[in-house]
Amino acid sequence: MSDPTAATGVPGGNAKPAPRPRYKRKLSNYLLDKKLQLRYVLLVTILSGVIAGALGYMIYQQKRLASESIEKDLASLTQADSSQEDFQEHVASGLESEDRALVYKMAGVGVGLVVILSLYLLIMTHKVAGPLYKVSMYFDRMAVGRLGVVTPLREGDMLQDFYLNFKDMHDAVRARAQADASALEKALEALRDSKNQADYRGEARAKMDEALDELDKHLIERKKQLA
Amino acid sequence: MSEPTKPPASAPAPKPAGGGGGFKGPKPGDRGHKRSWKNLLINKRYQLQFTLFMVGLSTLLMAGLGIWVMKVANETTTVSMASVRGTPCPKVPALVESSGQDEDVLPVPMKLPDDTGSAAPSDTPPAAPAASIDPPAPTPPAAGSGSAAPEAPRERATVVMDESSMTMLPSVIKVPEDFGAKVVGHWTCELRLGSEINALERGRLLILYVLIATGLLLVVGLAFYGIKMTHKVAGPLFKVSLYLGKMQQGRFDKVWNLRKGDQLVDFYEHFKNAHAGVVKMEKEDVVKLKAVIAAAEQAGAGNHATIVELRDIVARKEKAIE
Repeated sequence: MSDPTAATGVPGGNAKPAPRPRYKRKLSNYLLDKKLQLRYVLLVTILSGVIAGALGYMIYQQKRLASESIEKDLASLTQADSSQEDFQEHVASGLESEDRALVYKMAGVGVGLVVILSLYLLIMTHKVAGPLYKVSMYFDRMAVGRLGVVTPLREGDMLQDFYLNFKDMHDAVRARAQADASALEKALEALRDSKNQADYRGEARAKMDEALDELDKHLIERKKQLA
Repeated sequence: MSEPTKPPASAPAPKPAGGGGGFKGPKPGDRGHKRSWKNLLINKRYQLQFTLFMVGLSTLLMAGLGIWVMKVANETTTVSMASVRGTPCPKVPALVESSGQDEDVLPVPMKLPDDTGSAAPSDTPPAAPAASIDPPAPTPPAAGSGSAAPEAPRERATVVMDESSMTMLPSVIKVPEDFGAKVVGHWTCELRLGSEINALERGRLLILYVLIATGLLLVVGLAFYGIKMTHKVAGPLFKVSLYLGKMQQGRFDKVWNLRKGDQLVDFYEHFKNAHAGVVKMEKEDVVKLKAVIAAAEQAGAGNHATIVELRDIVARKEKAIE
């Protein structure tokens, strides 16, 4: 899957950041968080299946009862007349086929319902799992110290409030890190200037140089992370 | 809503894993927060959206299929009722009025009262016509009459009802021998059919009531379950939101574990890693700055304004990761 948190800007340059490609929903990406999504899908699907199955069984039972009643009455009416046997059989088979058609109809409705529900829930849960997935990607970047720019969610995504909280936090941490980096950069320059002006002893000077070089490297690395 | 990141007064202190013998205490990083029904609706928008979707869907399903069930149930009931009504019951034999000409009923002769007013019945058949004009009987002379030659009496017709030749036959209802049994059979059958029809109607109503009760139970149960289920997702999100707020303010407190049964465990692990990553950055800054400060102090520049500023930064960062 493509990374929805891909960096937007070009690090270390004055060039305008390239326009971020718009991430569209793909069918293959709909199952982002299997555990979360399938739990909802399965719950609603099983529940709907049980309701539809139970009520469908009741419908079939009632219909079958009516058919049997008609067949019984017809049999008692025609038992004296053997010439009516064909008619009775015809009616009985007609009723039976009607009952069977009802079962097929209900099974079709049930399967259609389950399929439509599953797809709809998949899409709906994707709108929750999508933002969570995106935030997780940003979390992974933060874990390795990378604090890039956070891009907004797609239209229609849920958990917008949560995502805003995350974005505010990320922006604040990034801004603080940038401010610290800037302050350290200035401090580094000031210390290097003062080192040149001051009369530091040999060993101390070497240690100071080493520490400032380390800080310089650290700042370069940090700037990369903040890009 | 209580803030889950603040330890409650009654919350047990975290114990090391494996401590306490058989007692299963909280793992390190666990908090003693328990779920409270008051806090079930943490993220109203998300939770209600999912719950209402499930409830609405189930209601629609129940209503749609319920109407179908009732339609078929009504049809069946109507058919069954028609079938029951069409069941023939043994008929009550009609009581036939007999004119008395049957063999076993003897005609009852009408008896008229005789002259004295008695109406003694007589079995003798009438020998004479019902009314006859008899020759006038000699009338006794009237007492005190002075006339020698009686005046010839005026002839008057006399009707004598001697004995009627008409017989009046009372209407006799002929009761068959098995009449009682047939009446009982008929009404037993009628009552049985009536009770069968009532049972069918009761069955139809039972289906309706069961459907309504099941629907209501389902809606209430599903609403509760939906809120509880989404709470297990909304809970971790709420907790992470609180940590995000702290991180925004530059506070990187210890991140506690989720409660047992919470969902989004993987997501929470990602967050913990991110938190640890930011803390690590701060710590690295502190190490580098401390090295510079130490080197500057060794070089005799400990009171340099820049070093003082660096000390402030270090203090702030150390406080943030406490």
